[in-house]
Amino acid sequence: MNVDLPASRDAPSWPSARLLPLGDQHLLVRFSEGLTQSANAAAIEFAQLLNSSEIPGVLETAPNLVSVLLRYDPEAISFMRLSGEIGLRLKTSRAARALNANQHKIPVRFDGPDLNEVAASVELDIAAFITAHNAAPLKALATGFAPGFVYAGFHSEALRVPRRTRVRQQVAAGSVLFAAGQTAIAATDIPTGWHVIGHTEFRNFHPEQDPPSTIRPGDTLVFEAIK
Amino acid sequence: MTRLRIIRAGALATLQDAGRFGYLAHGIGASGPMDRSAFSAAAYMTGGAGPVGIEFTTAGLELEVEDGACTLGLAGGEFSATVNGKAIAWPGACDLATGDRLTITAGPTGNFGYVRFHGNIEMGRVLNSASTNSRIGLGGAQLSAGDALEVRSAAETERGIAPQQVEDGPIRVIWGLHAEQFSPDVRTAFVTEAFEMTSQMDRMGMRLRDPSGVFASAPNLNLVSDAIVDGDIQILGDGTPTVLMRDHQPTGGYPRIATVIGSDQDRLAQLRPGTKVMFSPITVEHAQTLLRRGY
Repeated sequence: MNVDLPASRDAPSWPSARLLPLGDQHLLVRFSEGLTQSANAAAIEFAQLLNSSEIPGVLETAPNLVSVLLRYDPEAISFMRLSGEIGLRLKTSRAARALNANQHKIPVRFDGPDLNEVAASVELDIAAFITAHNAAPLKALATGFAPGFVYAGFHSEALRVPRRTRVRQQVAAGSVLFAAGQTAIAATDIPTGWHVIGHTEFRNFHPEQDPPSTIRPGDTLVFEAIK
Repeated sequence: MTRLRIIRAGALATLQDAGRFGYLAHGIGASGPMDRSAFSAAAYMTGGAGPVGIEFTTAGLELEVEDGACTLGLAGGEFSATVNGKAIAWPGACDLATGDRLTITAGPTGNFGYVRFHGNIEMGRVLNSASTNSRIGLGGAQLSAGDALEVRSAAETERGIAPQQVEDGPIRVIWGLHAEQFSPDVRTAFVTEAFEMTSQMDRMGMRLRDPSGVFASAPNLNLVSDAIVDGDIQILGDGTPTVLMRDHQPTGGYPRIATVIGSDQDRLAQLRPGTKVMFSPITVEHAQTLLRRGY
């Protein structure tokens, strides 16, 4: 039932993908089991391709960290037929697509309760940690978990810290979170096991607007320290 | 225009419509009724209903018409309903006038019931939907005593589908995103041992009791956060199986062994705490044939 598709040998091509049924109304195109830059880039680009090359019966497309979720109407198209349509698109060249990425400036007050601990764990003083954190722009990897919640990465290996062992039941919207080589921004109040390193006035969720979030996967995030 | 006043509402009485579809890419799930067929049946009983209805639980619901008149339909599980103290049928319908009071209390079966109106409630509409997402507090409303609702004539009404006989037998599932990461023994036990519904159920999910310890020694997997869909059965770190329902978070990192098929999600939502439940795997093709047949 699962369809394994080998990567074409003609570069540039899509990496191999698995097409998996999630229940009877969703299909997941998964490029990797682990989080890698190449799988993430493929998920973002393939979601854009699907949005520009509509498949009848597909109702909605959403990229995740390493996959693309398609919601479809099984009365209009079966899982097998949809798998065939996706297989055809995975055999097309990947090159022609220009990523229309936007850049977002994220002003951050580095005042989070976990900032000291995080800086110490990567053996930097706070000023040096902030400089290292903001040194290079990050890529928005995915939106998920909660409305407008954005994962951004990747930091260098030297800045990689694990999640906290204890989950905080609620951190406020605007919390800037840090773990697993990534920085994430909470757009609503959420529970989290990530380290809270700062806060931003930037909000990536405006329910009164449509679309309700402005950062799209693939966009560039530039973090700036403010007092 | 008809004005209703909520006299009594349980903690999980919410406004719902078909759902807030189309915003997964923004981290927003669809929500919508826990029992979609009962929501539709309530529209049928109304004789054509506006898109927004009230979902309530075994904690019941009581409302009074303060001004005007309205026709409403009732369905979902088996509840007891009275108008001004006089019993009416369930599922059923009634015409209410100013001063009339509708009282709904739990009956022998079911967790979720619905009131639909021959008219529309224009309240809390966010991103093209009035559905209340209880997890993120978006849209519609969680109703409580004292709330006023205005029912206005609807531009168009939904006919709905007549109440149907609820099927018996195991809850059918399709193997899930992480099924292969469970051992063959665990997978076999999952579809041969009985689980039990618990009182830890809400619009986000329903925790199951696992008396045979099917997942007692399930490994803690370090997974990339990935898409969650309605009906996913996820195994928490302590081995607790949970069926994720309409207000689930859109992505998550706990392993999902299987997904309840679309045709059986409504039935599962109505199983009371203490009810035994068995799971039976079917193919996606079979599940889609059932959906096309309309269950």
